[in-house]
Amino acid sequence: MKTGFKRATVPLALLTLTALTAAGCNSGDSGSAANKVTVWMYPVIMDPKANAAYWDGIEKGFEAAQKNLDLTIEQLPWENRDQKLATAFGSGKGPDVVLLGPDQIPQFQANGAVQPVDRAIEKSRSAFRPAALEAMTQDGKVYAAPIYHTVTSTLYNKKLLDKAGIKEPPTTWDALRAAAPKLKQAGVATLDYSASNEASLNMSFYPLLWQAGGRVFDESGKKTAFNSPEGVEALTFLVDLYKSGSVPRSALTNANLFTDHALGKEQVAMGYTNTPSDAALAEKTWGKGNVIVGPALAGPKKQVCFGMPGGLGINARTKNLAGAEKFVAYMTEPAQIASMGRAGGFFSPRTDVSVPHESAFAKEYEAALAHTFPGEPHPAARQLMALVTPEIQAALTGKKTPEQALEAAAKEGDDLLARQR
Amino acid sequence: MSKVEPREASPDEPEPSKAGTPTWRGATARPPTPDGSPPGTGAAPAALAGAAPEAAPGALAGTPPGTGAVDGRPRPGAPPGGVAGPGAPPGAGARPAGGARGGGRRSPVRRREALVGLAFVAPMLVLFLVFRFGPTLGAAFLSLTDYRLSGEWTFIGAGNYTRLLQDDLFWESLGVTAVYTALYVPMTVLLALGTAVLLHRTLWLRGFFRGLFFLPYVTSIVLAAVIWKWIYEVEDGLINAALGVLGAGPVDFLGDESLVLPSIAAASAWKGFGYSMLILLAGLQSIPREVAEAATIDGASAWQRFRWVTLPLLRPVLFFVLVIEAIQAFQVFDAMYVMTAGGPVRASYSLVYFLYDSGFKFFDFGYASALGLVLFLIVLVFSLIQRRLIGREED
Repeated sequence: MKTGFKRATVPLALLTLTALTAAGCNSGDSGSAANKVTVWMYPVIMDPKANAAYWDGIEKGFEAAQKNLDLTIEQLPWENRDQKLATAFGSGKGPDVVLLGPDQIPQFQANGAVQPVDRAIEKSRSAFRPAALEAMTQDGKVYAAPIYHTVTSTLYNKKLLDKAGIKEPPTTWDALRAAAPKLKQAGVATLDYSASNEASLNMSFYPLLWQAGGRVFDESGKKTAFNSPEGVEALTFLVDLYKSGSVPRSALTNANLFTDHALGKEQVAMGYTNTPSDAALAEKTWGKGNVIVGPALAGPKKQVCFGMPGGLGINARTKNLAGAEKFVAYMTEPAQIASMGRAGGFFSPRTDVSVPHESAFAKEYEAALAHTFPGEPHPAARQLMALVTPEIQAALTGKKTPEQALEAAAKEGDDLLARQR
Repeated sequence: MSKVEPREASPDEPEPSKAGTPTWRGATARPPTPDGSPPGTGAAPAALAGAAPEAAPGALAGTPPGTGAVDGRPRPGAPPGGVAGPGAPPGAGARPAGGARGGGRRSPVRRREALVGLAFVAPMLVLFLVFRFGPTLGAAFLSLTDYRLSGEWTFIGAGNYTRLLQDDLFWESLGVTAVYTALYVPMTVLLALGTAVLLHRTLWLRGFFRGLFFLPYVTSIVLAAVIWKWIYEVEDGLINAALGVLGAGPVDFLGDESLVLPSIAAASAWKGFGYSMLILLAGLQSIPREVAEAATIDGASAWQRFRWVTLPLLRPVLFFVLVIEAIQAFQVFDAMYVMTAGGPVRASYSLVYFLYDSGFKFFDFGYASALGLVLFLIVLVFSLIQRRLIGREED
């Protein structure tokens, strides 16, 4: 018996050893060599060629500045991003540094997969937009250093406004309500909206909710908060416009798309969550003089638009913390913030750096940046959207009143949050 | 999009064909009918093997009887295609023939033949085991756990199933799927039968028309759905523009809860009827002419001949088509994903859409697996009904 066991032990031990060594080699990813830093990056710059060229330049620039560090930037697709990251973190093979958005942080922080980057941004801390840092903060610590900022704002079709005799583009709910009948008379809808289940509520209903002064989740994050007088006001505003034909009927199947949808096809006069690339496209299709980018839409309580920072986080199990922190610090330097924003069409997360843009609307978007809100990050945010959207559709189609719709959505949402672990 | 919400851009724009359970049959997307074509069914599987554009499902479906054919087939010169043999005529059941010849022990030559045969089916068999059977078992296991994104899981037994039975969304999506099936199957089969009968009678340019009718079937479903979405569009769609000229409409095909399922079913039927049409055409062509001639001599009208002669003879094929299309309908996803995203108010939120959301949006893999297995059971029941009824037909 003993010999049999012994006989098996040696090969088993060898096998285990080999497996361990192999595993060790694999996790060379996360820098088993002390001078290596691995970064997971995504196609933040939409043109693949420009993206590759940009990160190539960053690699060279960083290695020139930090002679003893060996940087590898791996390009990953957006698809199944969370899944891949979770698997990598879970098996201890994750990168040292990874691009993170505000909505990813609660989940990864709770699982202990990422560590604070406060030390990396020690020097530049006061330079960041407070809202950008706050979006990346959990329990008082910053978990991703912002390297760029996205922004949305209002977009108007001047031709259609002119047709209805509207001189001042409506920038508040009241002005919008007043403009709607005139535009209807001119044969066009007023406000573009996306009510599809595949549309993000961050770019459809939630901005209206925030403008009315409402919130999606309560402070504890354990209950929904949108079933409030503010929520009802926001949904009623939307439903009234829809019922009078001022929000196009095709809104029900629109998923935050510009091309080939009502706004792009010049059937509706304005949008309120449009990106700089929407504006660039509009310039091409409507003609240069016909595009107006306005300030963030103002509701009864607040002037808010959606926009969020993208930042770099550090793996909690990195073997080269000093190197990782150096890279994060490098990417938040003014020069890199400017080059990143320029290459990707983003805006600056720092108040002391402004990205030089060639776009005609850079100034307007820069102004809207002050009103951006990065959403309410929550591990169940996406699931909640899938519950809320059908109720909004029910309100739009008249199946339910705004009150009934929000009440039903809140009930389902609270059940969902109660189920979360 | 990705500029504003890089994070959201990923799940917002997946390729539906990759993301979910494919609804339309590509070569690999053929629904799980491994046992869908029973041995010795005669016309139906023969037509399948003969008419189906993909040999794969045929070979798959034929595996149970085909294995018999492999070790028993007495023709050394048989082409590889014959090995999997669902096309074997009912009378020529390979096993009895082999038994008669071999009479007991196998000769080395015949054993080699068997091995060669096995080698031919091996790639398909391995693919089937690895990509169909393996994942099915995996899903069965997953459905008993609460596997989450972090990779942590605990065994929760039937927890997912009891939760499923209490989930209003499940019943709602099951109802949507059932209604869709009830709309889609008759539409498709009637369309397929109509065109098959027309093609059967047409002598002029038959091949051209056959190709023409089959064309939608080989178009990408996403493409077809996008184009149908344009056609149905309420503001400036083709149909509403036509209605506008007539002074009617506009009709909100995809925005009205009672119209959305018929509209999607019609688009899907347009896309999918070509396959059934070919099978029915093959079935029609296998009916001996003499029967119809005899009926004509007896004074039967064209309708009577069709109703009382052709249709009964076509029954096994028709039944096969009905079941295949029903299974197809139960797995609907892509068309809804592209055209309505399940709306309005979940009026087109099918079972597979629910599965997709649970798995790929909420990362609730255990729950999604349980849903997948329930769907598998439904499809299995359909297959068994088909097997039973067609088997009885043969008796």
